[in-house]
Amino acid sequence: MLKIDSLHAEVDGVEVLQGIDLEIDAGEVHAIMGPNGSGKSTLAHILAGREGYEVTHGSISFRGRDLLDMSPDERANNGVFLAFQYPVEIPGVTGMTFLKEAYNARRAHAGEGEVDAMQFLKLVRARARELGMNDDILKRAVNVGFSGGEKKRNEVLQMAVLEPALAVLDETDSGLDIDALKVVSDSVNRLRTPERAMLVITHYQRLLNHISPDRVHVLANGKIRRSGGRELALELEANGYAAYTERAA
Amino acid sequence: MMPDDAAPLPPFLDLIDQASSAGDRLAGLRANARMRYLASGWPHARTESWKYTSLNPLAAGQFASTGHGDTPVLPARPTIDGPRLVLVNGVVRPDLSDLGDLGPGVRATRLANGSDPDVRALASIIEETDSTDGLPLAALSTATMLDVLVIDIAAGTVVERPLHVISAACGEGAALAPRIVIRAGADSVATVMESHIADGPGFANAVCQVTLGQGAMLGHYRVQDQPDTSFHVGLTEVRAGARSQYDNFVLSTGSRLARNEIRGRIEGSGAEYRINGAYLGAGTQHLDTTTFIDHAAPGSTSREVYKGVLTDRARGVFQGKILVRSVAQKTDGYQMNRAMLLSGRAEVDSKPELEIYADDVRCSHGATVGELDPEQVFYLQARGISHETARRLLVAAYVDEVLDEIRSEPVRQAMGQVARNWLGRVIGMPGEGRS
Repeated sequence: MLKIDSLHAEVDGVEVLQGIDLEIDAGEVHAIMGPNGSGKSTLAHILAGREGYEVTHGSISFRGRDLLDMSPDERANNGVFLAFQYPVEIPGVTGMTFLKEAYNARRAHAGEGEVDAMQFLKLVRARARELGMNDDILKRAVNVGFSGGEKKRNEVLQMAVLEPALAVLDETDSGLDIDALKVVSDSVNRLRTPERAMLVITHYQRLLNHISPDRVHVLANGKIRRSGGRELALELEANGYAAYTERAA
Repeated sequence: MMPDDAAPLPPFLDLIDQASSAGDRLAGLRANARMRYLASGWPHARTESWKYTSLNPLAAGQFASTGHGDTPVLPARPTIDGPRLVLVNGVVRPDLSDLGDLGPGVRATRLANGSDPDVRALASIIEETDSTDGLPLAALSTATMLDVLVIDIAAGTVVERPLHVISAACGEGAALAPRIVIRAGADSVATVMESHIADGPGFANAVCQVTLGQGAMLGHYRVQDQPDTSFHVGLTEVRAGARSQYDNFVLSTGSRLARNEIRGRIEGSGAEYRINGAYLGAGTQHLDTTTFIDHAAPGSTSREVYKGVLTDRARGVFQGKILVRSVAQKTDGYQMNRAMLLSGRAEVDSKPELEIYADDVRCSHGATVGELDPEQVFYLQARGISHETARRLLVAAYVDEVLDEIRSEPVRQAMGQVARNWLGRVIGMPGEGRS
């Protein structure tokens, strides 16, 4: 589904990704782990199409199409979803309005008609119920005054409604206490399907106690240094990243 | 003989001459105002209150004070459920107004040909405003006015439906001086919305004078949506009595050059004085908001929040002065001007000014200038929303926030529609209601 080939990228002339190769198939959950500044979030942002990064070499193919050629909204409408590390506050726009716009944009892209407010409300309630949430959060302005847990739950609820083919979870565990972490990761697990791929980006192993990955990759200094199964995460937990950062330096 | 260094004669003396031929009950007021206008002269580049807004394009214009005319085709205006009071080219038009449908305790009269016995009291209200230094345009307005719409709300009256005052400029090059006097009696409750519209280029020089008795509550709102070929200068003057509540909002979307000025004097304790607004400018529009709040009594509150959205080469000006006299202890004042610039060539000047002589007061002010937050735009795009729709949603939300200051629900709806129409025109997406 996703094929990243020799991806090099710069920010302000500094090369932050130095040749990433990664392939994720439908139904797989991959984890990217790495120390601060390793390029984890850069990779997530480049996948979503955020400005400010210059891809100097390499390619990203998503469902057979050139992802780098698409605007952020095209990527979303083609099935890419980024769960933000820091979800953005949008004062004055309710979650319901926001999500309905997003949902209808996706339907329009697929050549389907818009749903009205009533139909959409039903859909959102059903999705929220499946995740054991309620939709109260969507009555408020997007992320405004939300706790860390509410922000991340809101991201997961959006994901459930928009049903992406590829979900990129950028440090979804950051800012969560242990209870909120469990709630959010349980929701993510419910959204695991044979059709959907997930890329879970995290600094800490603890998230992977809840969301069990098929593959783990260690990213340090802009390159994947090692890949392995779930046991690699446990090894990192025990030994830290020092071995990888030193080797690269 | 004039001394050599005499200031040049101000423009628009021809308009005064045209108005003076009307020969009505206002002739004396106009003649006095003409003298004040000549004495104060036309604002120039060094006139402090006009430093950021040049009136040169206005002075260069050619206008005619037409007054009466055929029944005009009124241009589009915000709709609101309530009796209408219509002025065309500054003259009250009973044939277009619902004068008989105002309900008990509310009276609308016209001064030019009416039979209001209290002309002297009105004259003192009218003459007080433009004798203030630095308001030559108010003097010009009085010198060219052809009528006065007087709205009286009797003490204790509660008026349910908003009164909609529509001032229309009709005919190309029309000069008009719409004049409104609102007297809200003690403990009365009412809502007045003014719509200033035009069917072509012209020059509207409007003055509205408001007196709030003790405990009166007045919602007073103003939409300035003239075509962007026209000029608009509007002065609202408010005298607020003890325990009165004044809720004002001005939505300025129209005119090539517009000044909206509100001068309020808080004369009694326990008053709540709120003036808010939004200025939405595109093209080469110049939209000026100038406010002056005079706290002349202890223990009152004032709050003002203005927001601007400017695109293309539009320019905004905000000048806000708060004066707290030594007697006005325990004053609570708040002022905020925020502007969002959607283009690199749009600009805004913000000049807050606090002059405080009392020692036990709370007064704060702030000003911000920003652009659309790229983080917000990206967040919306990352969910599949197009760049254009994201911009529209974010700007609409920005404007909605200040529209929420409006306490009258029907007025908030009407203003919201005008704002949405503007967004639709300028950001290029169809307007839609809030959900």
